Amino acid sequence: MIDFVQNTVDGMMFGSSYALLAIGFTIIFGVMRRINLSFGATIMLGAYIGTWLHVHHQVSVWVVALTTLASTVLVGIYVERLCFHAIRRSAVLASMVSSFVIWMQLEEAAIHLLPERTYAFPALLAADSFEIGPFLFRAEQTSMLVLAMIMVGVLHVLLYRTRFGLALRAVSESSLAAAYMGINAAWVTLCAFALVSLMGGVAGYAILSTDAQITPFFGLWATFKGLIAMMLGGMGSLPGAILGGLLLGVVEAHALWYLGNEYKDLSAYLLLFGMLVLRPGGLMGQRILSREALAFRRV
Amino acid sequence: MLELRGLSKHFGGVKAVDELDITVQEGEIFGLIGPNGSGKSTTINLICGVYQETAGTVRFHEELMNGKPPHQRLRAGIARTFQNIRLFPNLTVWQNLWVAQNSPEDLATQGFLSRWFGATRQTRREIATLLELADLEHKSDELASNLAFGEQRRLEFARAAAARPKLLLLDEPAAGMNRQEIHDLSLRIRRIRDSGVTILLVEHVMELVMGVAEQIAVLNFGQKIASGTPGDVQRNKAVQEAYLGTSDSDAPSLDTGD
Repeated sequence: MIDFVQNTVDGMMFGSSYALLAIGFTIIFGVMRRINLSFGATIMLGAYIGTWLHVHHQVSVWVVALTTLASTVLVGIYVERLCFHAIRRSAVLASMVSSFVIWMQLEEAAIHLLPERTYAFPALLAADSFEIGPFLFRAEQTSMLVLAMIMVGVLHVLLYRTRFGLALRAVSESSLAAAYMGINAAWVTLCAFALVSLMGGVAGYAILSTDAQITPFFGLWATFKGLIAMMLGGMGSLPGAILGGLLLGVVEAHALWYLGNEYKDLSAYLLLFGMLVLRPGGLMGQRILSREALAFRRV
Repeated sequence: MLELRGLSKHFGGVKAVDELDITVQEGEIFGLIGPNGSGKSTTINLICGVYQETAGTVRFHEELMNGKPPHQRLRAGIARTFQNIRLFPNLTVWQNLWVAQNSPEDLATQGFLSRWFGATRQTRREIATLLELADLEHKSDELASNLAFGEQRRLEFARAAAARPKLLLLDEPAAGMNRQEIHDLSLRIRRIRDSGVTILLVEHVMELVMGVAEQIAVLNFGQKIASGTPGDVQRNKAVQEAYLGTSDSDAPSLDTGD
């Protein structure tokens, strides 16, 4: 029983970073109805730039953390300009395919930056742990959960209580009407990309700190985890992304404990398979899809 | 205040709007009428910046509008409503109005708190006034998608007014309305005009146009075939042919009594 609770807690802590990745996908999908496949690679390249500074210039971990965030935002803006802004009027598929191509470009850039396969990633917090009752908490995972909760809180206020958030939602509901209300849809979209890249940078930094290493495959990994968590929760749903991320983390933690490492990823795919069969819209998506359809029929 | 000169929009070989000249004076209610497919909606879309014109110019307060995107035209003072209502369905009535406050005046006068959080008393009072004008005070926190059809129309009106336009383009506002609602609408249009907004009204419903417009231009096949006061237009031969000369039995009648 203690194992079960411990695994669930561990899973939720790691799952909180999946949730941040899923939020990145879900916001872009909600606003533009497009999927940014290079989201994971964006974070990976941002973290690589930070690592490069650390390897070649021995900068402090704080500089690595800030550089990772800043360069993730810059790479995110680069991706938006290239794959989404430039071809925003063409088919949805065009953005997705070009974001896939850009993924390869970003990965190549990272490999040229640091050609060896694996590098140590400098963590902000030392690997430490503390106990509460019978349960063990790892410092970096606990901070990941706290960080994720703060970011979700800030994001909630931003999306539902500020003009920027309302403008973002207005653009996602009707970009044409939003433009006629004086909202600069292109600018709002760019800001949305910068915002989710920042969140992705935080999630990426937290995950890489826990892993203590970085490889070019991190981009693939982050895209997969984020997409799966988003699909589990329901595309375009913010609470869904959080639930999906936590669920994925918990299932993976239990699979790791009871079945072993080789079943960890398999359990994630099986979970997604089950969800797609039983509830294709995801945990929250089903309701959202039908409510949206209804709303648009009535307006 | 609004000058269209030689304005043309061709879609392939189709001349949706062809060499159109229109001048709208400040403070008037200008009606733009014509049979289906005569280019009325295209004209509105050209004024708003959805379409790029093939030739010609759009000037607003002497300023050339060609090439400016819609949000900049709004900030210059041109707002519009849509033929098929386009509210933000999952935003509340209050949020629909607040998010539309992007006029240069608002940008200049709103402080940080009211701009980004809508928290000041001034913002609340302005929106309360808009809600009152639209008879939607009691629906302030309702989602736009939960409103009845007539309420959605009124909200769209109020939302356009929230942008403090100098020129308001109304794209078939009477579509789907009954007589009483059309009467209310014409009062509402006059009231907006009296508050200092120039109106360009594109409409099928003759009862409304002939009742409120002071100047009218008639389009057919993308060209202006007549213009003048409602009386002039009703007596015009070319107009009568365009509307009544066809065998189309459901062509709208020019008779205001309907």
